[in-house]
Amino acid sequence: MNRFSRWLVVLVGVVLCLYPFLWMFLSSFKTNREIYQPTLLFPDSYDWGAYASLFGGEYLSFFTSFANSLALSCGQAFLATLVSVGAGFALAKFRLRWAGSAFFLAVLLVVLPKQTLAVSMFEWLSLFGWHGSLWSLILPGAVTGLGVIFFLQLFRNLPDEWLEIAKIEGLSPLRSFQLLLPLAFPGLVTFFLLHFVLSWQEHLLPLLVLNEESMTLPLTLAKLRDASHRIPESVSMAAATLSLLPVMVMFAVCFRLMRSALREVTHS
Amino acid sequence: MKKGQLSGDGFSLAVLLAPFFGLWLLFWLAPLLLGFDLSLQHSDWTSGRVDLDPTASDSRYIGLSNYQRVVADPKFYKAIRNSSLYVLGTVLMILPLAFVLALSLRGLRRMPRGILLFCLMIPGLAMPGVLSTLFYLFFHGRTGALNHYLIIPLGLKPINWMMDPSFILPSMVLQSVWRWTGMVTLFFLCGMESVPKWQLETARLEGAGAWLKIRSIWIPSICNLALFAAIFLVVDGFASFSGAYVLLGGSGGILDSGLLFVTYVYQVAFPGGSGRFDFPAAAAMSLLVAPVLALLLFLTLRLRKFLSWV
Repeated sequence: MNRFSRWLVVLVGVVLCLYPFLWMFLSSFKTNREIYQPTLLFPDSYDWGAYASLFGGEYLSFFTSFANSLALSCGQAFLATLVSVGAGFALAKFRLRWAGSAFFLAVLLVVLPKQTLAVSMFEWLSLFGWHGSLWSLILPGAVTGLGVIFFLQLFRNLPDEWLEIAKIEGLSPLRSFQLLLPLAFPGLVTFFLLHFVLSWQEHLLPLLVLNEESMTLPLTLAKLRDASHRIPESVSMAAATLSLLPVMVMFAVCFRLMRSALREVTHS
Repeated sequence: MKKGQLSGDGFSLAVLLAPFFGLWLLFWLAPLLLGFDLSLQHSDWTSGRVDLDPTASDSRYIGLSNYQRVVADPKFYKAIRNSSLYVLGTVLMILPLAFVLALSLRGLRRMPRGILLFCLMIPGLAMPGVLSTLFYLFFHGRTGALNHYLIIPLGLKPINWMMDPSFILPSMVLQSVWRWTGMVTLFFLCGMESVPKWQLETARLEGAGAWLKIRSIWIPSICNLALFAAIFLVVDGFASFSGAYVLLGGSGGILDSGLLFVTYVYQVAFPGGSGRFDFPAAAAMSLLVAPVLALLLFLTLRLRKFLSWV
């Protein structure tokens, strides 16, 4: 491909991905009448009323659900990273006879989408009486097949010489895992972020398990849409903008680190 | 595949593996088994409509008749068909698109490359519900962007994307393509960037053309990633709920043409209004789909072995 067609392909994609979100941001200042003309980009006047009413808790307790979402996603991503990195390391670096089949079984079952098991999960969590608590979402979300595959791949690409040195020095496997962990730091951050986004977007399980007092952002956003005949569209646009902001900032800050980690992981 | 280096003592193995398998048992196998148990019971029992009379316990378990009920349900097939088409459409559109985008991005200098890649990823960071809202307000309708900038200039009649039964599913697929293409591009680009320099140098010295380079360098560099992405998209597609839920308000759209599998399970288990809470049938549906998905994933992984063999 020559220079021109390269730029053309990329720029068309970028416009398709960027413009609607720019429109969304600017729409948080618009009146309903302006929003229903999608080809109009800039509002007549910039009115911050939508944001004010969101943070004033005029419609739904937006702030609470924002904090809930943040706590849920951080907890889930942290725990998932912790659990997967251990399992991935063990499966990559230990000589295990049954590792292959155990790994396959676990991953096969975990890769099955948990949304399809939502009803039984709901029943199971009811047995614990965990409804309305964030723990009922954090713990099930921490077991992920993708995480194990990710870290397995990551550690497989780390040179074995490190481990040999550790062995000669007479360190226990656990201690050598500890020493190798800093080398995997970019990978840890990357997986944390990827899992963070997935749990940030999770809708079905929170919908089943959480109650009115402890909603997460996807639920609140859906509620705002549902009631849009009473609530101005600009409010739901403002909420959407705010829900995108933390993820975007996190990714932007760690983007370089993430790409270098993914280069490691994808190197086959 | 190289064998591991460490011969583990039991203690460190347990420390490393136990959290994963413990959580897996507690929050995967247990609900699965509970779901199986649930799927064998009569729905009056699970919804608490029958007084819990221990003498009547033989009428509680009704064998496989919930499965028979589900298999005879035409709406179930509709949901499965829609979900399969949805998954197929997204995978077939995203992978080539992401490949072309990654290849084009790789040709750019480093500075613009990173910035433009980040812009492409933004829809993947937004919530599916937000994407649905934007799709509804921005792209859809007579005055929407899709009609305004694409359909009308082509001289076609404007399409009512959300109301026309034959366009609901395609517009959901488009939405998913919009969402995931950037993320897949990120992975593909990283795969391409990890190709060693000497390979490219060799190709240059041999005077390899663009097509030969694509075939012998770029496609192999993302082959595993494409498989990984396909698995992720299949799983995510079958599990997708949020986008359709916000877009169609929990219904299946007109003539159920946008009814996805998880939406239907949700409808059966948690009906709005005064329906029956048919947990057993919902559990039976999930368990009928699980082996199909597992088989699909297994075949995909086999395909990888087959490909590396050839």
